[in-house]
Amino acid sequence: MHMRALQRARAAASPGAAGAAVRLSRREMLAGGIGAGALVALPDISLAGRAAARSARAAGSAGSAGSGSRYVLLYGTPEATSFPGGSVASALSPASRARSLPAARPVATQLTSAPVASADQSSVALVTVDAVPSGAQVTLTVVDAASAAISKQGSLTITGIADGTSILPTPVFAPGTATIAVVLAITEPAGQRLARKADPATGGTRVIRPVTWTSRHALAYFNSDSGEFTGPFHLGNAPALALTTAAANSFDLFLWTTREPQPAQARPQSPPLPWVSVFPLGSGQARASVPSPAPWPASEPVVTLATGDAARLVNGRAVQVSSAQTGEVTQTAIAPLGVTRAKPSAVTMESRPDGTVFMTKPGIGRAVVADPADSFRVTAQVDYPAPAAPGGAPASKAVLSPAGDTLYVLGGAKTGGISAYDVATGKLAGSYSHGRQYFGLYQLPSGTLLTLSPGNPRLEFFSPGLSLLGTAATNLHVSAVF
Amino acid sequence: MAGYDTAGPIHDTYVSARDEFGRDPAFWIRYFSPSPAADIFADDAVAESAGAWASGGPYVGCVSAPYQSRLSGSAAEGLADAQTYAASMLAAWNAVAQLKLPSNNQLWCYLDQEYSTSLSQSYWDAWANYIADYNFANLRTYPLYPALYCDPLSPFPNCSILAAAGGVTIPASVWSSEPEPCGSLASVPFYDADECSSVSRSKAGSHLWQFGEQDACGFSANVDLDVGNVITANYCFRVVSDP
Repeated sequence: MHMRALQRARAAASPGAAGAAVRLSRREMLAGGIGAGALVALPDISLAGRAAARSARAAGSAGSAGSGSRYVLLYGTPEATSFPGGSVASALSPASRARSLPAARPVATQLTSAPVASADQSSVALVTVDAVPSGAQVTLTVVDAASAAISKQGSLTITGIADGTSILPTPVFAPGTATIAVVLAITEPAGQRLARKADPATGGTRVIRPVTWTSRHALAYFNSDSGEFTGPFHLGNAPALALTTAAANSFDLFLWTTREPQPAQARPQSPPLPWVSVFPLGSGQARASVPSPAPWPASEPVVTLATGDAARLVNGRAVQVSSAQTGEVTQTAIAPLGVTRAKPSAVTMESRPDGTVFMTKPGIGRAVVADPADSFRVTAQVDYPAPAAPGGAPASKAVLSPAGDTLYVLGGAKTGGISAYDVATGKLAGSYSHGRQYFGLYQLPSGTLLTLSPGNPRLEFFSPGLSLLGTAATNLHVSAVF
Repeated sequence: MAGYDTAGPIHDTYVSARDEFGRDPAFWIRYFSPSPAADIFADDAVAESAGAWASGGPYVGCVSAPYQSRLSGSAAEGLADAQTYAASMLAAWNAVAQLKLPSNNQLWCYLDQEYSTSLSQSYWDAWANYIADYNFANLRTYPLYPALYCDPLSPFPNCSILAAAGGVTIPASVWSSEPEPCGSLASVPFYDADECSSVSRSKAGSHLWQFGEQDACGFSANVDLDVGNVITANYCFRVVSDP
């Protein structure tokens, strides 16, 4: 039955069968000048009937899905060649076969950094950077996830920078406030000179014009009520590494940075340690700044705890907690994650409404729930077969149900599909597979499960009971879902 | 000449690998920040270098596996990741006096693109340019060369991106993860790495081949097996004496 449903869905996704074709055209999208990623909005298939009906009446207005509806925001890179029959197409849902989904629609392109969702998943912040005569214009846009409409937008200009400067913005929601902090890594080119470099292709040498880059950071704060920016506040920390890690509570921004190492005058010389600084929201002046244990900040998972402290999951096996009062860091090993394999495994960490944190390490096939209030004691552990591509994008390979009682994971490398585990017992509770390997798994606020595949239809929707609801196609290589 | 890549510490791994495969490796490929498992070399580069020396394969190649969704991102993300990669290699060199650059002055710096990750042109161009332009240790020899670990035949963009690369952003090497016939260091399969040239106009050759992965091949030791169609050790850091 599932195979037939899938075949029907695939047929529906074929050229001409599904909703209106949507191409990623820059003109009709929020667009910036210096970026690559794109964002597309697609209605949650479990709401397809209602959304389709409203969509028909509202003829594609931004808020057509109405209250209670929710868009799925897909972030990724458009295919170089278009998907036959349209870039984005929706498929019939077995639950509402008479109606097709409203077509997905583009939201943004040329994003300079990946979108960031608010803690309650109600909003997504996007940042674009454009070159302007006076410098670089940084534009932050808040998208309402329910309607996929822009709810607020504002810009600030970074002046006094060299031509060709790279700006990497990182938005950080401050929970319970209207503030979105933006960490700006400003990397300027300098010192271009002629040099010679061996050319491995020819065995000779080639003349190059190497550029030396120097990074520093600035902070800005966006008020999502007023649409106004405060800042930028330049931290004067050059030469630093551009990569940072940041988190915020309702009062403070935590920022991990690292000084750029310089050539040793005499070896051996120890590597620099990162620092964590605590900035009151709205300020460019740290009220605390202390050394942090390694590693250097590099996209590791970070959450804000119920205490207001910030926790980052480091080295795939330990949590470092930075105190909300002093910034000082304590480290706790998460023993079940301390498993070594030949292949490194990415990890994820999410905070849960009950104050616990959920951590997964797909490369070793393990998920745990830990209690920060009890020294990160592991309160639940589920082991599962490692999926086919545990290290590839998107990072989400396993999700915990809102009630915390069911773990959904991608099926193992040999079986594919998806599986559900009872968290209380750690036992397999159900599975679905028609042999297809998925590479990403999300649970939408409606409870619907969404899987990602390399080829179209890239999106498949499942009920919490693992029944296939339908499929959709997109011309995005999806690297994250919001 | 075959070697290992591993996310485990060399000094904890080489004995079990020697017991399983009966040979010393010719080289080790290690993870550098931004990457999972980068802490191993970063936290104790001396112990890692000593492990490589003791293993009989005193050559350390470099790979970095940034947060994978960033690889489909912007130039700013590529530049930032490359900056940290170059800095982490410099930090390792700073920390171990016995760690030397390759004698041919060509250190291949692999970017790890896992299966199901898409690579964008913006990211690659900025990443590769930074690596190629990096004035390592102020030597003015520019010894870093961009390279890519990937599955050339995967449906996700990689070789098509390399095909559009030019100048110093053309990778010095592709490290292919496929096919995977397994084998061992004592019984290395005939070199047959998948090539980007079979799916795109990329000029980059697969000079390194991961022919056996631990999980797929059922190895006990925490290593994957690799072999080059060139002398891979020539493009790695050299550990010239016991640290």
